[in-house]
Amino acid sequence: MQWWCFAQQEPWTWTWRPLVGVWVGLVLLVLAYRRLVRRASADPESRKTTRWRRAAFAAGVFLLWASLDWPLGPLGAGYLASVHMSQFLAVGLAAPALLLLSLPPAAFDGLLTRPRTLAVLEEVTSPLSAFFIFNIVMTVSHWPGVVDALMPTQLGSFMLDLAWFAGGLIFWWPVIAPVPRRAAFPPLGKIAYLALNAFLIRPPFAMMVFSQHPIYSIYELAPPPGGDALGDQQFAGAIMKIGSAWILFVGVVVVFKQWVRSESDAEARGT
Amino acid sequence: MSGDRGARARIRRLRAIGLVMLVGISVAACGVPADGGRRGELRGWVIDTPVPKPDLTLTDTNGEAFDLRAETEGYLTLVFFGYTYCPDVCPVHMANLGAVFGDLIPEVRDRIKVVFVSTDPERDTPERLRSWLDNFDRSFVGLRGSLEDINAALSTILLPGVAVIPGEHGSEPLIGHPSAILAFGPDGTARVRYPFGVRQSDWAHDLPLLVQGF
Repeated sequence: MQWWCFAQQEPWTWTWRPLVGVWVGLVLLVLAYRRLVRRASADPESRKTTRWRRAAFAAGVFLLWASLDWPLGPLGAGYLASVHMSQFLAVGLAAPALLLLSLPPAAFDGLLTRPRTLAVLEEVTSPLSAFFIFNIVMTVSHWPGVVDALMPTQLGSFMLDLAWFAGGLIFWWPVIAPVPRRAAFPPLGKIAYLALNAFLIRPPFAMMVFSQHPIYSIYELAPPPGGDALGDQQFAGAIMKIGSAWILFVGVVVVFKQWVRSESDAEARGT
Repeated sequence: MSGDRGARARIRRLRAIGLVMLVGISVAACGVPADGGRRGELRGWVIDTPVPKPDLTLTDTNGEAFDLRAETEGYLTLVFFGYTYCPDVCPVHMANLGAVFGDLIPEVRDRIKVVFVSTDPERDTPERLRSWLDNFDRSFVGLRGSLEDINAALSTILLPGVAVIPGEHGSEPLIGHPSAILAFGPDGTARVRYPFGVRQSDWAHDLPLLVQGF
């Protein structure tokens, strides 16, 4: 039985295959969320937008499931770079944002009583650290040698997905999570942080789009539905750039709307 | 307090290392050629005992006789034995060769002939063979003939013969065939072969050298 998708170099078949690790991981995620929400339910502020948060959580879990389970999981792991890149957008960008948004503010309060964890979080999720960690994880996890070495095994493929997800959580943490409190990261700073990441040209994108030949051997040598490996790779590069820019643009819009709302509230309170 | 200062200094160092790594990776991405930087040597596998082009006359996709030696004399000739129903090796090998072939400069491309010999003549009709090869390059030659002739030719170039593996549970049979493409130089002798796993960057590197009789 297979527990995670990986590059098998076998002809593609539409026969359904269970990926046990994906289901177990998602069940654990749901259980952890229920526990956190139950703990936080005593806080009236956290109860206010429960439905909206639950919708964000459901969307995040759905994105993880759809991108990691059959058929997109195996297709992205061993056949099409464009599907692999769509998985990255889901696992490494969209799902972490949705899952962080789904947590009520009180769910983070537990961290305030753990000074060591808080100290680590303060450093790791500071905007500058988060920027570097996310971009290094993103660059290394798309590096041809790394992808070709890790994707042919279940453990390697799992590690890449985990790195994406962890990198995404760290990236969004300073923008979304209320703990640790950062007076020095105002809404304008958050907008600049997101916009910079949207416009940044990263090496993997440049390699995928401008390389004369396919850079990933697993996709170049994959049986059909692989085929036009270079075209698929260039499409993957476009998905990476345009898709991530759109997700970050949505983030900018949300931050901006929250900023405007808080300014209006402050003004209303003042009058 | 001093502990705090130490921790902050460590974090500053880590950030500096991160910055250097990011810049280094960016520079490396710009500087590493797609071919991995190796030059001046062939990337195909050198054949210990060079073999002459087989004396083989088969039928092309127009239904006309095709004498391999006569029709490809003086050309770099890439010969592959496979079949159009092949689920993995053949379409990948041919797609990668076709992708590079289309990008070669005319001076190189016009001196190369690619010959695909069907190892499944029953199912590979001339129409199917032509249509399948056209997916990769319209200039690729498709040949059909009896398995006896093909196996005889394979044995002269020291490659394993064709094996028909019956399909399981009523599925189509699989055909065992050599997975390497043989490169016969303009002198009619093959000194290098390209097993499955050869990449487009390898073809792009080797074909101009092979045309020059490397």
